Amino acid sequence: MKILVALKRVADPANHNKVKIPAAGDKIDTAGLEWQINPFDLYALETALRLTEDGKAPKTRLGEVVAVTLGPAETETNLRSALATGADRAIRVDTTDDALDGRLVAAALQKLVEEEKPDLVLMGKQVVDGENNYVGQALAELLDWPMATFAATIKEEAGGLLVGREVDGGVSTLRVKFPAVVTVDLRIVAPDSVRSSKTAEGFKYPYEEVRFAPLPAIMQAKKKPLAVKKLADLVGGATLSSKYVKFEAPPARKAGVKVKDVQELVQKLATEAKAI
Amino acid sequence: MAPTVIDARNLEFLLYEQFGVESLTEHAPFTDHSRETFDLALATAHKLGREVLWPPFREMDQEPPVLIDGRVRVHPSIRALLRECGQGGWINADVPVAHGGLQIPRTVMTAFRAILAAANYSTSVFPALTAGAAHLLASFGAEELGALYLPKMYAGEWQGTMALTEPQAGSSLSDIRTRATPTTEGHYLIHGQKIFISAARHDQAENGVNLLLARIDGAPAGVKGISLFVVPDRRPTDSGLVDNDVTCTSVYHKVGYRGAPITQLSLGDAGDCRGWLVGQPHSGLRYMFQMMNEARIEVGLGATAIASAAYHAALDYARHRPQGRPITSKDPAQAQVPIIEHADVKRMLLFQRAVVEGSLSLVLQCTHYSDLAQTLQGDARERCELLLDLLTPAAKSYPAEQAILAVSQGLQCLGGYGYCADFALEQYYRDVRIHTIHEGTTGIQALDLLGRKVVRDGGKAMFLFLDEVGTSISEARGVAGLGAHAAQLQAALDRLTAVTQHLTGLALEGKIDLFLADATLYLEVFGTVAVAWQWLRQAMTAERGLERDPSEADARFYRSKLSAFRFFFAYELPKVEGPAARLLDSDGLTLKTEEELFA
Ligand SMILES: Cc1cc2nc3c(=O)[nH]c(=O)nc-3n(C[C@H](O)[C@H](O)[C@H](O)COP(=O)(O)OP(=O)(O)OC[C@H]3O[C@@H](n4cnc5c(N)ncnc54)[C@H](O)[C@@H]3O)c2cc1C
Ligand SMILES: Cc1cc2nc3c(=O)[nH]c(=O)nc-3n(C[C@H](O)[C@H](O)[C@H](O)COP(=O)(O)OP(=O)(O)OC[C@H]3O[C@@H](n4cnc5c(N)ncnc54)[C@H](O)[C@@H]3O)c2cc1C
Repeated sequence: MKILVALKRVADPANHNKVKIPAAGDKIDTAGLEWQINPFDLYALETALRLTEDGKAPKTRLGEVVAVTLGPAETETNLRSALATGADRAIRVDTTDDALDGRLVAAALQKLVEEEKPDLVLMGKQVVDGENNYVGQALAELLDWPMATFAATIKEEAGGLLVGREVDGGVSTLRVKFPAVVTVDLRIVAPDSVRSSKTAEGFKYPYEEVRFAPLPAIMQAKKKPLAVKKLADLVGGATLSSKYVKFEAPPARKAGVKVKDVQELVQKLATEAKAI
Repeated sequence: MAPTVIDARNLEFLLYEQFGVESLTEHAPFTDHSRETFDLALATAHKLGREVLWPPFREMDQEPPVLIDGRVRVHPSIRALLRECGQGGWINADVPVAHGGLQIPRTVMTAFRAILAAANYSTSVFPALTAGAAHLLASFGAEELGALYLPKMYAGEWQGTMALTEPQAGSSLSDIRTRATPTTEGHYLIHGQKIFISAARHDQAENGVNLLLARIDGAPAGVKGISLFVVPDRRPTDSGLVDNDVTCTSVYHKVGYRGAPITQLSLGDAGDCRGWLVGQPHSGLRYMFQMMNEARIEVGLGATAIASAAYHAALDYARHRPQGRPITSKDPAQAQVPIIEHADVKRMLLFQRAVVEGSLSLVLQCTHYSDLAQTLQGDARERCELLLDLLTPAAKSYPAEQAILAVSQGLQCLGGYGYCADFALEQYYRDVRIHTIHEGTTGIQALDLLGRKVVRDGGKAMFLFLDEVGTSISEARGVAGLGAHAAQLQAALDRLTAVTQHLTGLALEGKIDLFLADATLYLEVFGTVAVAWQWLRQAMTAERGLERDPSEADARFYRSKLSAFRFFFAYELPKVEGPAARLLDSDGLTLKTEEELFA
């Protein structure tokens, strides 16, 4: 199986108190922020690796995983880290974060998919910075491929996948045929959430996170192929279709008050907080 | 979420800017590596720290290991770490390729271990112990012997231990009594008792491999009669693992560092404990010292790492705890200020940084000598080896002793909460206490430094050290703003030289007891000067950084580095004066204090 995994770098969520918005409010000042791969995209990478191996012998790769990102040269660090974790190849589409919106990303990915012809495209259900929850769905639409979003479990079947999706009322199960687009949720990295056709039924991974990169793979990562493409070569003259009008920091939290009894609490919840 | 326990930027500063480990990759045997490998290695360590080591940190202290049916029950996260380290290649990462390793520079691996140790020192020692034991076996054991054990140890499946100490033989290893009786089948039968053996017989590894010191029947007395053996808990045979008559008889209750058990072992109760000789007979202590020198540096690192975690916890508290008002404006209508605004609290925080970052630099200086030696030949190589050898007792003991004081100040920053289990400081305070004891007490390190390393070969290593420090001082003289500090370090170095001459003079007069009576004070002076040297080097590196038109964040980092540097020279370096004066006196006060005078 050939899988394309889309990864976006985001500012480390632990940096939240370093985020600055200049007085003009026209952008977010990213100087001094530390970057990492969007956690949901890392889960997608882990999912792709699990789908291309027999869980009990993960060193033997049984498929091809291509990691893709759109961003400036520094994002190659993130791609190298994906390569060390187990991806076979990487592609960087050279651009800057502020030159992108969801539609352009989806359009660029569409072209890459047409070139690469993967059986499956995996990515996180959303990024933890913009939280748009858009690119996966848009890509499936552009490709006119079946899609399953918010995957919490994936079992490989002949010619497709059985995907358990987390929805408000519980789990909905979809059967998608290849080629397909799947976006993943947090629980996809639980020990028995993903099973490739080679992994024995009942097998559990001994961890429930994204795997660690082994040192030999870290040493080989710099030798694995990393191609760089130009955004314009993929999307032509297409430009941003959405614009950020203004950024504002959320209002600072106000000091709390002490209530004298339950009655006052209930009353405040009803009249002031309008929570009940 | 895991808190900050170590400053990642500072590790980068030391590795890349100060020691230039990248340039090691230009030379054999490190050419397979690159900055990218190192960065990814450190990123892995940070992730392991956050995800595997930190979460059970408090729990492991509250529920320490217990002995159940002959096995020591330890926290299950230890299996997870051993597995990750095994599968990741981290147990044999710095082992030469010829011994099945990946030859990452020791300096990088030391930074890797620092990150794990800061997240949870107890857990971090399990793979480190296996690495030490495996390294010993790989260096001195026969190939067939290694082949039986090393793959399982490198894979993190079998736990390595070091079994030296016995009830009558702690500091004095020459008094080891455990017996090894030769058989005609190639193995020896082992009989004896070991105490305080870390990580033995625990339940999160499939087997234990004890590297054990014993005396072959009829061996000469003293250090020249001690041999090294591999004594597995269960021995590999054609029909699988067979019990090897190694019994854990108890687990000690400790002050801190409780996640890692120390055990009492009884060997050969049923007459069937088999050991296999490693290397030549009667050479065991010599082999063991190779490992022990590495372990001593790791002890210094462990102390530093705990003090680093304690510093970050104290810093966080100090920023958020409002208490009191500026000394110059006591208006009660005014809000209280965060305690970090009080000069005395700043002093406590700066002291912690001075110890942590100074110690870390000294430890990495040692491992860097070790790496450089690998890339060099002849005299240049010998120079690095001699410096490493000389600095080892200081790189163990300065961090071990000072980290106790640093963590105590961290605890103090929290006031009453520092003393309560609501915050981690009280645990760090207990955990950090071990380092002056294991791998040779401070007293023993001091005898090793003054009685052996300083005087050996006519003081050759000591002259090299004076030369190294002198070179840094000359460089610093040329850096704007550092001239006075260079002069201050030169004065301290002169003082150390005078003390050394005075003491070696006593040795030449044959007054050996007087020469060594205050060796621990000598170690204190030596260690403080060595760390001051490291601080001067860091200051020069920071000044160079500032000249390179750094980003705002980097500029802030360099300025903060320089402020901790100035603190060390203003508050810590002058402390050599007391012990130096004492050492120059040599009236033999302690020697003359008869036992009955201890009322
Ligand atoms: C947590 C922990 C883990 C350990 N892990 C291991 C392990 O894995 N394997 C192992 O083999 N051992 C281990 N040990 C044992 C450790 O190495 C010894 O405790 C240490 O070497 C000191 O020996 P001792 O306890 O017998 O103290 P002693 O030797 O009795 O020392 C007591 C005091 O006397 C001083 N002293 C002793 N002799 C002299 C001298 N000649 N001159 C001046 N002062 C002297 C010492 O400095 C010390 O202050 C561990 C100990 C601890 C506490
Ligand atoms: C075991 C124990 C028993 C106790 N028993 C009692 C008791 O019986 N009754 C009782 O009332 N209390 C008791 N206490 C409370 C104790 O007196 C306080 O913990 C102590 O006075 C410190 O106050 P704090 O804990 O609020 O620390 P903080 O005042 O928050 O101090 C934190 C740190 O900031 C420093 N700091 C604070 N203000 C300033 C300043 N203006 N300038 C410079 N540095 C400053 C402190 O020196 C300290 O290092 C007890 C505490 C403990 C731990």
